[in-house]
Amino acid sequence: MFSYNFHWNQAFKALPQMLDGALVTLQIALLSMAIGLVVALALTLFRLSGNRILNGFATVWVEIARNTPALFQIYMAHFGLGSFGIHLSPYTALLVGIAFNNAGYLAENFRGALKAIPETQTRAGRSLGMTPLQAFRYIVMPQMLRIAFLPATNQMVWAILMTSLGVTVGMNTDLAGVTQALNAVSFRTFEFFALAAVIYYVIAKAVTLAARLAATRMFRY
Amino acid sequence: MKKTSVLAFGLVAATALTSPAKADKLDDIISSGTLRCAVVLDFPPMGSRDEANNPIGFDVDYCNDLAKALGVTAEIVETPFPERIPALMSGRVDVGVASTSDTLERAKTVGMTIPYFAFQMAVTANDKSGVKSFEDMKGKVVGATAGTFEAIALEKSVKEWGAGEFRPYQTQADVFLALSQGQIDATVSTSTVAQSNVKGGKFAGISVVGNAPYDIDYVALFTNREEYGLINYLNLFINQQVRTGRYNELYEKWVGGEVPSLSVNGVYR
Repeated sequence: MFSYNFHWNQAFKALPQMLDGALVTLQIALLSMAIGLVVALALTLFRLSGNRILNGFATVWVEIARNTPALFQIYMAHFGLGSFGIHLSPYTALLVGIAFNNAGYLAENFRGALKAIPETQTRAGRSLGMTPLQAFRYIVMPQMLRIAFLPATNQMVWAILMTSLGVTVGMNTDLAGVTQALNAVSFRTFEFFALAAVIYYVIAKAVTLAARLAATRMFRY
Repeated sequence: MKKTSVLAFGLVAATALTSPAKADKLDDIISSGTLRCAVVLDFPPMGSRDEANNPIGFDVDYCNDLAKALGVTAEIVETPFPERIPALMSGRVDVGVASTSDTLERAKTVGMTIPYFAFQMAVTANDKSGVKSFEDMKGKVVGATAGTFEAIALEKSVKEWGAGEFRPYQTQADVFLALSQGQIDATVSTSTVAQSNVKGGKFAGISVVGNAPYDIDYVALFTNREEYGLINYLNLFINQQVRTGRYNELYEKWVGGEVPSLSVNGVYR
C-alpha cells in the first residue's frame, strides 16, 4: 500500500536550486562529449594506423569503456586513482569517467560509419596523389562524421543521464546531487525525484531535437 | 415491541458482520507475525555485518527486542541512509530502526518516536591535513555521509565559513576511504562511528581530533506519520528499554563508556 501525501509546493520552492544543478549537468555532459569526440577520433586513427601498439591501446580502451559499468569507471576515476595518490575532485572524476566512456562508444560509432564508406573512395583519392592522411581528412572523415552524427547524439543523451552517477563520488552540485541533498534534509523523496526526472527528460529531449534540427541543416546535399 | 427488537438485533448483527474494526499497522504487524525493520548496515557499531554476513549491531538488537515484545519474528531490511524513507513509503518496512535524527523538517514526512539513542559528534582528520580541531576545518575539503544529521550540519558550516568545500558520500565507508586517501581532509561523524573506524584499522593515517560543536544528535525510531497506535507502542517500548536496563546493557555491548541520557532538561518529551 502506498501511503504518502504529496507536498508539491515544498518541492517547487527548491526548483531554482534544481535548475542550477541542471546547468551543471548539461555542462559536464557537453564537456565530456567534446573531450570524448576528440579522443574517439584519435582512437579511430590509432586503429587505422596499422601500428600494433597504437591499435592495441585503442582496442583496450574501447573494450574497457564499453564492457564495464559507467558507475565503475567513475568510481575508479575518484577512489581508484585516489589510492595511488592522484586526487581528482568529484567534478573532474565525473567528467573524466564519462569522457572515457564516451570516447569508447564514439570510437565504435566511427568504426561502424567507416565500414559504410567504400574502400574504393580512399583508393581513388590516393590515385589523385593524396597522402593517406589527406584521403582520410578530405574524403573519409566528413562522411564518417555525417554517418556517425545521429548515433553520437544517443551518446550525448546517455552522457546526460550518466552524470547522475556523480553522487557516488561525492558530487553535490549537479542535478542528481542537488536532488539527493534536498531529499536528505526534508525526506520528500518522491516530489524531488519526480521533478528531477522531468528535468532530465526535458534536457534529453531538447538535445535530441536540437541534434535532429542541426542534422537536417548541416547535411543537406 | 418484539418486531423492533428483532429489527434492532438484525441491524447490529449486520453492521458487526459487514464492517470489521479497521486494522491499523500495529494489528497488521501482529497478525502477519513479522516485524520488518529498516536498518543501516553500513554504520558500525549501530549496524554492520559479521564475518558470516549476518546483520549485527545496536540497531539490529533493538529491532530484535522490539519483535520479541510484539511476539513476532524480526526481519532486518538493509537500507542505505538515503533509502530509509522510500523503503517505508513503499511498504517494504514497518519501522525504521536506523539511527534517524528527529529533525522537524523530517517529521513533516514521517512519524518520529521519542529518542532511543543519542550521538555526540566528533571530528576525524587525515594526519597529513594539519586539522587539529573543529575550527581547523575551515577552508579545507571536508565530507560526510549524505543524508545524515552531521552532513546537513557540516554543509551548513561550510556555507557559513564561505571557504573550503563540502562533499557528501553515499556511504560511511566511502567517507573514511576518501579521508584515508586524502581526498578530503576531515569529516564529522558520530563519535561512536569515528572510534570504531579509527580503531578498526581498515583505514590508515586518520585520527579522531576532537568534538564538533553541534547539538547532541537524538535519533528516533520512525514509522508512517498517521500510525499513532504503533508510535504509542514504540514510545512505551523505548521507555521500557531504559527502565529495564536493557538500553544500558546494549550500550555497554556495542559502544561502551558513559551512557548518554535520552531526555532533555526543562521540557517534556
